[in-house]
This record gives sequence, structure tokens and C-alpha cells, in this order.
Amino acid sequence: MRNFEDDPTLNDLLSNDQLDRLNRCLSDLCAKPIALGASRPGADAVPVEFNLETVGWLSGGEHEQERQAAADMVGFLMMFVAKYRLAANLHHDATEAGYAELQRQNEALKASEARYRALSDQLQQQVDEQVSVIKQTQQELYESARLRSVGQLAAGVAHEINNPIGFISSNLRVAREYVKDLAEVLPETPANQDLMADFNDLLAESIDGAKRIASIVSDLKTFSSIDQADYTRCNINSLLTSAIHLVQTEYSHGLEIVERLENVPEVSGHPSKLSQTFFNLLDNAAQAIRDAEPDKGPGRILVKTLIQQGDIHIVIQDNGSGIPEDQRPKVFDAFFTSRPIGSGTGLGLTVALDTARAHGGRLQLDSREGTGTRVLMTLPIN
Amino acid sequence: MPDFSPDDNKLALKVVFYGPALSGKTTNLMQLHSLLNPERKGELMVLETRDDRTLFFDMLPIGLRGSSGLDLRLKLYTVPGQVQHDSTRKAVLSRADGVVFVADSQPSQQDNNATAFGNLEENLEKVGLDIDTLPMVVQFNKRDIPGVVPEEELQTRWAGTPWSPLVMAAALKGDGVIETFRILLDRLYTVIDDEFRLATDHDISRQQFVERLSRNNPEASGA
Ligand SMILES: Nc1nc2c(ncn2[C@@H]2O[C@H](COP(=O)(O)OP(=O)(O)OP(=O)(O)O)[C@@H](O)[C@H]2O)c(=O)[nH]1
Ligand SMILES: [Mg+2]
Repeated sequence: MRNFEDDPTLNDLLSNDQLDRLNRCLSDLCAKPIALGASRPGADAVPVEFNLETVGWLSGGEHEQERQAAADMVGFLMMFVAKYRLAANLHHDATEAGYAELQRQNEALKASEARYRALSDQLQQQVDEQVSVIKQTQQELYESARLRSVGQLAAGVAHEINNPIGFISSNLRVAREYVKDLAEVLPETPANQDLMADFNDLLAESIDGAKRIASIVSDLKTFSSIDQADYTRCNINSLLTSAIHLVQTEYSHGLEIVERLENVPEVSGHPSKLSQTFFNLLDNAAQAIRDAEPDKGPGRILVKTLIQQGDIHIVIQDNGSGIPEDQRPKVFDAFFTSRPIGSGTGLGLTVALDTARAHGGRLQLDSREGTGTRVLMTLPIN
Repeated sequence: MPDFSPDDNKLALKVVFYGPALSGKTTNLMQLHSLLNPERKGELMVLETRDDRTLFFDMLPIGLRGSSGLDLRLKLYTVPGQVQHDSTRKAVLSRADGVVFVADSQPSQQDNNATAFGNLEENLEKVGLDIDTLPMVVQFNKRDIPGVVPEEELQTRWAGTPWSPLVMAAALKGDGVIETFRILLDRLYTVIDDEFRLATDHDISRQQFVERLSRNNPEASGA
């Protein structure tokens, strides 16, 4: 690459046209034609010097003196041409360097922008992580508060009802004995016989009702597990049965729930969390059935337990509305609910997933819209 | 960087006069042009000025021929000292083989000296030159003006640097100009001889190098 300060050649200083014109002018001035060129044409040519550099050779003219005079004049002219060239070249060099510098700065700017973007992405990622931690904690808090309040309520109700239902039941049984005694002493008229039969039926129904109340109370107690330590040996089948009873109560015993519970060993676990999970899954299934198209036929929930490859498999399967494809990835998102606001918290599946994981197990969801949903919860036997 | 063309046995060196605006760089070069009588001396090219101030640069070529036929050229440049001409300064500074830093001795100019020296350091780095190995002389000019910073103070201040002792000059009167130039030539010789073996290959000793490039011009008497 040439630098601005490189010594200029005759060609750098003058174009061919300009050189021709200069030669014409010099020839007009001198007695005989003059020729200026870059190379030495003969022994009698004189050098044209400029800045210690021979830029060209001058030949022709009438004699040596004329040649020398012409060469001096050309040297003098060259200085101004060279000045211009130098200035122009310097300007070019400086501009180029300035442009290169600008480009470097631009690159540096881009690099730092990229660094900042990476940093901001990192920050965003950290924020996202924090947010998810907060969400998770919030959800756990929410769940435990909910569990606690449900548990407390259940325990309170169970406690309050347990005693009265106890004496109601035993009183009803005593009353039935009294009615039997009364029947013996009453005159046997048809009217009396009808009355007694009715009375007996009433009492039998009431005793039955009281028994059901007692069993709900007992389920509630299991569900709330208020009296149990965090981790105990859990009988999965009985937890499932309690949850089923509670869901039935919630849906006025209108659900068809098929139980196929195999004998499975007890596992170490958190009974209230498991109960809550089973209840949520059953509740989801019941909702799905309710949401299904009316012409779909009767809804049915299948609840199965079985042992497979050393794990307990718990299957809760419904033939309800199913989960639309676009919502499936979201079903484990906390607070996601496909149901109208107010009808559920949306925590059901997330809590189920968390509970499964907390017990070293897994949760798997298969669903097809319009066909139904199958939830498989796997718990290790330990 | 020395520019050596083996074909025509030509070695071109470049010395740059650097410094703040109006410190006397152009004056130094004009004085060298009239005071020096080196073996070969070209025209002083004052490229472009406005109100006495350099807009592009000034250039004076001098030279000598070694007995080996070595055609040794030295081109002396000044840069424009005004702050705004930094890209020109950088272009002129690039590939320099030596630097004369012309500082202004007036107390009011000390900040400008420092700024210009910082700018020199910065630009040397940008054009890929190393201030620690580059032959350089620092001259404090305008000693003739009354009230300048005392020499002792300046010498003490610069004592710890590679450029001590400083050269005092009054370029307008020609004082110290050749002395500055000779010291630069001396330092330049060390570096050039290392690379081009001036003494052994071209029979140019240090003393000859300095002497033949900085001979006094008998016509310019009085200096
Ligand atoms: N009194 C005094 N004046 C000086 C001396 N040297 C230079 N000057 C004056 O200072 C002014 C600037 O000098 P220049 O040589 O043009 O300065 P410069 O460093 O080339 O300035 P720029 O081209 O703008 O960078 C001129 O008026 C000179 O006459 C000196 O030794 N003594
Ligand atoms: Mg100047």
C-alpha cells in the first residue's frame, strides 16, 4: 500500500494529457522542442529533481543551458503539483483512518450492546427464575393454608357432629326397641298396625341416615388428617375411598364411580396431601363429565389401583369433555384453569404433580378432547 | 518504520515534530532549513497555513549517501498542533522513526503541553508505535520570552523520564534548534544502526551520521 508520503513518480504528478501540454509549452518557449519523460532517453538528458528525487528526464532543446533552465522550471512547477498531491493524499489517508476508526468504534459499540443484551437476558432469566420461585412458594402457602382451613373445618365439623350423631344413633336404636315394646301392648287394629309399620320404617330410615352421617364424619376425619403427623404409613385405597365419598357428597351421589382397587401395600406419605390430590383429581373428573356434550351418554369415573414394576399405580379416568390440545401443556401451570373463574382454583393438577413428585412418584396425563381424561399417578413402594 | 528499498539501496526515515498549537514546530523546521547544510537538502514544503498555523503539515527532506551507495533520506515533518486536526496528526505520525516534542515554556501553556503529550502517547499507540523504544527528544521552546517556567523546575519535573535532560530552545532566534536535532539524530542512529548496520555495512559511523546530516550552513552565519 502506498502512503501519502511516498515519493511521487512523474505519473503520480501529471496525467499524460498534462505532460503533453507541458511539453508543448516548454517547446514553444525554447528554441528547439523539449521532451520531459519518466525514463532517461539519452546521455545528454538532464534530470528533473524534486525533493532529492529524480522525478523525470528532460531532453531536447538547443543546448545544455536551455535544457537545464527548462528542468529548473519544471522542478519549480513540480513543487506545487506535489504539494497538492501530498495534501490530497494526506486527506485521503486521514479520512480513511478516521473511517476505520469509526468502524472500530461501531464494532466496539455493537459488541458492548451485545454484552448488555446478554446481561439483560441473563437478568430476565434471573427474574423469571425468581418469579417462578415466588409463584411456587405462593402456591405452596396457598395450598397449605387451604389444606389447613379445610382440615380445621373438617375437624371442627367432625368433632361437633360426632357426639350428637353418636347419641342420635344409639337413641334411635333404643327408640326402635321401645316401638317394638309398644307394638306388643297396643290393640291389634289395622290402623295401629299401619302406624307401627310406618313408625318402624321412619326409624330404620333415620338410623340409616345417621349411619351415613357418621361415615361422612369419619371420611372427613381421614381427609383432614388433622390428628396425623406429616408423614405416616398411608393406606392409599382408604384415602381414595374417603375422597370418593366426599366427591359423591359434593355431587349429591349422582356420579357413577367404578372402584377397582387392588390390594396395595401401605406407603410412607402425607395423607392429607394425598387425600387432597385424590379429591382434586376426582373433582376434575366429575367436572369434565358435567362439561361433556349432553348426547355423549352417561358419564363414568373409573378409579383403579394396581401394582406394576414395583410401583403403585393409581388411575383416575373419566369419559368427560377432555382437555383441548392447546391447553394441555398449560394444565400443570399453577393457577391455570379452563373453567370459569370462581369454579376452581386451577391448582388441582399442579398440586397433584407436586404431591406426586414429593412422594418420589410421577404424574401422567392423557387426554383427548371430547373423549375423556386419564390421570396416572405412580408412587414408589417404600 | 524505516522504509528500505533494496532495489535502489534507499533508506527513508521519518522524523515528526509534535507538540501543542503555536509551540514553534514550524519555526523549528524553518530554522533547520536555513541553518543546516546537510549533504543533501530539498525544498521546505509549507503545505498550508492559516494565520501562521499549520493545517496539513510542513516537510523538509534531507539526506546523505553512504560509501556503499546507500541513499539515506530523512524527511522532517511537523504536525498541526491545533486540537481539531487530530486525524491529520495521526496520519503524519504513522510510521515515524523519531519524534521531537516541542513544548511551550510559557506558564500559561503547561496544560496544553500535557494535553499534547497525552495525545502523542495515545496516537503513538493507535498507529502501533511504542513510546518507550521510539527515539524522542523533548524541547522546551520560547526561552526568550520573559516569565517562562524556570529551566531547573522543568528539568526536575522531567528528571525521572527517558527524555531527561530536556533541551531548551528559542527557535525564533535559532537557539537550541540544531542541538535538539542532533540529540534526536544520535538516538535515531542507535535504533537504525541496530537494524541496518549503518557502521559495518555502509561505513556510516554515529558521528558521521549526526555530523553529515546536521552540518551548519556557513551562509547562515550568526547562528
Ligand atoms: N518568542 C518566541 N516566539 C516563537 C518562538 N518559536 C515560535 N514562536 C512564535 O510562535 C508562533 C507559532 O509558531 P509556529 O512555529 O507556527 O508554531 P507551530 O507549533 O507550528 O503551530 P501550529 O502549526 O499551529 O501547530 C509564531 O508566531 C512564532 O513566531 C520562540 O522561540 N520565541
Ligand atoms: Mg506549524
